Amino acid sequence: MTKQTSDAIERVLLDEEKITARVRELAAQINTDYADVDALALIGVLKGSFIFMADLARHLTVPHRVDFIALSSYNRNTVSTGAVRLIMDTRFSVAGRHVLIVEDIVDTGYTLDYLLRTFRARQPASLRTSVFLSKPARRQVEVPIDYLGFEIPDVWVVGYGLDYADRFRTLPYIGALKREVYEK
Amino acid sequence: MGLRDNVAKVLIPEHTLRTRVAELGQEINTAYTDEDRVLLICVLKGAFIFLADLIRHLEIRHEVDFMEISSYGAGTVSSGVVRILLDLGQNIAGRHVLIVEDIVDSGNTLDYVTRNLRTRGPTSLRVCTLLSKPSRREIDIPLDFVGFEVPDEFVIGYGLDFAEEYRNLPFIGVLKEEVYAE
Repeated sequence: MTKQTSDAIERVLLDEEKITARVRELAAQINTDYADVDALALIGVLKGSFIFMADLARHLTVPHRVDFIALSSYNRNTVSTGAVRLIMDTRFSVAGRHVLIVEDIVDTGYTLDYLLRTFRARQPASLRTSVFLSKPARRQVEVPIDYLGFEIPDVWVVGYGLDYADRFRTLPYIGALKREVYEK
Repeated sequence: MGLRDNVAKVLIPEHTLRTRVAELGQEINTAYTDEDRVLLICVLKGAFIFLADLIRHLEIRHEVDFMEISSYGAGTVSSGVVRILLDLGQNIAGRHVLIVEDIVDSGNTLDYVTRNLRTRGPTSLRVCTLLSKPSRREIDIPLDFVGFEVPDEFVIGYGLDFAEEYRNLPFIGVLKEEVYAE
């Protein structure tokens, strides 16, 4: 940990070893569940999910393709309604494919709910979700999570794809940010 | 039949990749300072696995952004002009920018991307690529950090695909000719 980082991180919530082991377990479960499927499409939500996606995909033995989408909220005031703008859509049609949405974190659930509604309308063969972290205490809308990495308490977490103002995204662990960093 | 049955040979095994990616991380740590707040730009999709591993070795302060591009189709390949499907989320004027690529082949696309980004006024603009195929180069483009030079073969794995498959192989392999010649 560099000094800059250790000054900002209160504690390590999930270390690298724990993360690696859990991502492997999730991949093994997906390999089992999709063993007879040859049209699996993993859809990662940028930017946060790219590390989880890279680690998950490399442990998959079932045939699959990877696609990314990018979202943006309209402005701060609409965050709570879940109205998001799809700024980059998938490259491939998902009609008839088995879709697995890959997300870094589910908080209120609004974004994932929006994605589920969006993709359900496109008639995939099936639609499931793989989420690295879930904060159940923050949930505003019920969303199904089929493959969950970890449940975490309602603290500001960074690392493994999650950022604070674009910082700390690439830490190899999940850390809790010190209050003074985000309350400045 | 599994994906691995279509691999003619392993060109770069997993442990060699891991070692070299760590070395590239160290080279980048030396080339920049925390104050530079270097912005890594990943060109999707091929480079995302390389990027996910490279960043684990970075000790300097940095940020990550993504671009996705697509060619217009046949006929435009040699000009390198591509369509930007997803542009950067931030302004790069005055920033130190490092493009992260999976492979540099003819160099045309990368040349176009660097020309495009240079118009936005970054303080510096460098390129880090996992693989380079010098024998295919059509345009001279400086590469600042190179993982491996590879011969002119159809390479797959570690982010590189053939028809969207093989990206998740943990090594760089050569695809059997009968697979892509079909």
